[in-house]
Amino acid sequence: MAAPQSKLIHRHWFNPSIAGYMQAFTTTRGIVALTVIILISALAFLAPFIFPLGYDIQSRESLRAPSLVHFFGTDELGRDLFVRSIYGLRSDLTLVYCAVPVSMVAGTLLGLIGAVSPRLGNFVQRCLDIIVGFPGLILGICVVLVLGAGWTALLVAIVISGLPSFGRLARATLLAQQQREYVIAARTLGVGKWQIMVRHILPNAIDPIIVQGAVFVVSAIFIEAALSIVGLGLQPPEPSLGTLLNNGMRYVSRAPTYVLGPTVILILVALAFSMLADALNDTVNRK
Amino acid sequence: MLTFLLKKLPSVVVVAIASSLIAFILPRMAPGDPAVALAGSDASPEQLAAVREQIGLNGPLHEQYFHWMWNLLHGDLGRSFAMRRPVSTLIMSRLESTVELAALALMLMIIIGFTLGILSATLRHQSARAGLDILNTICLATPPFLTGLLLILLLGIAFPILPVSGEIGLLRDPLKGLQFLILPAFALALPQAAVVARLLTTAINSVRGEDFIDLAKAKGVPPGRLMRRHLLRNSLGPAIVAIGLRAGELLGGAIVIEAIFARNGLGQLAVSSVQNRDYLVLQALILGAVLVAVLIQLLSEITIAALDPRIRLES
Repeated sequence: MAAPQSKLIHRHWFNPSIAGYMQAFTTTRGIVALTVIILISALAFLAPFIFPLGYDIQSRESLRAPSLVHFFGTDELGRDLFVRSIYGLRSDLTLVYCAVPVSMVAGTLLGLIGAVSPRLGNFVQRCLDIIVGFPGLILGICVVLVLGAGWTALLVAIVISGLPSFGRLARATLLAQQQREYVIAARTLGVGKWQIMVRHILPNAIDPIIVQGAVFVVSAIFIEAALSIVGLGLQPPEPSLGTLLNNGMRYVSRAPTYVLGPTVILILVALAFSMLADALNDTVNRK
Repeated sequence: MLTFLLKKLPSVVVVAIASSLIAFILPRMAPGDPAVALAGSDASPEQLAAVREQIGLNGPLHEQYFHWMWNLLHGDLGRSFAMRRPVSTLIMSRLESTVELAALALMLMIIIGFTLGILSATLRHQSARAGLDILNTICLATPPFLTGLLLILLLGIAFPILPVSGEIGLLRDPLKGLQFLILPAFALALPQAAVVARLLTTAINSVRGEDFIDLAKAKGVPPGRLMRRHLLRNSLGPAIVAIGLRAGELLGGAIVIEAIFARNGLGQLAVSSVQNRDYLVLQALILGAVLVAVLIQLLSEITIAALDPRIRLES
């Protein structure tokens, strides 16, 4: 018991035994999750090569039912909905893959700032509490209000709404580890505050934060979808899963696949990342 | 009880003032000038000044704020400059739709939450409990808009049982209105109900281990009465706190639900005001939303105090 414990503590932050996380992908759940994520990411990011004509090709066949040519049918301007959904997924995944890591890093640093200055740490926590006080979509709407609808607003909204959960996890680790002997020993030996934070506290915080990162991907996609559904997300003609749903609701009785297609993709992505989070969580707990 | 309420008063006032400040400042941080939007981009500076004067956007910020607060306290919310109507008229015309949605969702959240919570705390069969647990987790993880979309596709399109788009006021035609209301309210309530259910189950299970439950059983209290009078009453605290806190989420979720079900409520008004940079409407809506959330939270605290004399007397 003692040996792995000390290994965990002394793991350097830029070498977080990747082999440990790889264990998550030896379980069925982990393999399925990873496969689905890789497949949908590849499909989304290779969309310009798979569908080189782009997402904005209009035709006279508007609101057609699904067929072998148009898997999801066509929209009100005769554009292929499958292609638009894949390009929409590309927008969503771009947003998520950019915003979630930023939120993770920023939230973690904000949570750990208490290691350098306890006062500042408390202040930061109060600020994070205020963010929590804004229920889901209202925070997003406030961001759109200040920045105007578009990519920037979505990115900022996702980053901000993730800060509290990452910050709290990091702070919980900080509070738990701060009183441990090895931290006190390091402090006694004259190790600087920043170094204690980065070398001793941060490695212990990484496991729960990586799991939370996978969980937060799902929330991030839902934030995009919710904001776009009310019309405050990406602006036309740029597709995202949410904007497709926003448009599709108008034609839901004539062309149900307009809504069904993006919804299924949304659920697929959410399930895949939830499974990934579960698999990572199991691995982390076993370590 | 009165002293309990009086003690709560200062914090409510502080929150109200803070939220009025936020409601005032936030729209003004937005880029773009509403006067330009109103008068057109080729308006002369004099015209712009006149428009600003007309919509009350001239003068320093603190003067604008106090002017707004003063009018607010006298029941005047100002005029929407995008829709050229008094803000209060605009809000009143949309209020019924949102209040009906939120009220029914709140009721459903309590009913579904308590039913699921009590069921999963009392079911004997391991498999039934596990099944409920999975159901609960799915509900918990599914945001209202997704539930709404699935309900529309299932009950509106695949098996057209209920209308999925538009609304009819409950006051005009209660039966038809309820048909339009039930799906959006259900979608809105479900994830929050799952939270309530989970907290209630946990609380009941932990209270079950207490000595007074063994005593009651030994006295021969029948199971139904044991649940109502002994277990439930002592487990309500966390669930009621959750209901109070979740009411805010309900308001946020209502905006998306209104968009999906094409209901013309306050959420839609808020969205169009964001798009139009309609300061005064937004200010009123933000302030109103925060105050309603605070009041519901206060109400939940009062309920807990009424249920538990220890909290009432401590304060």
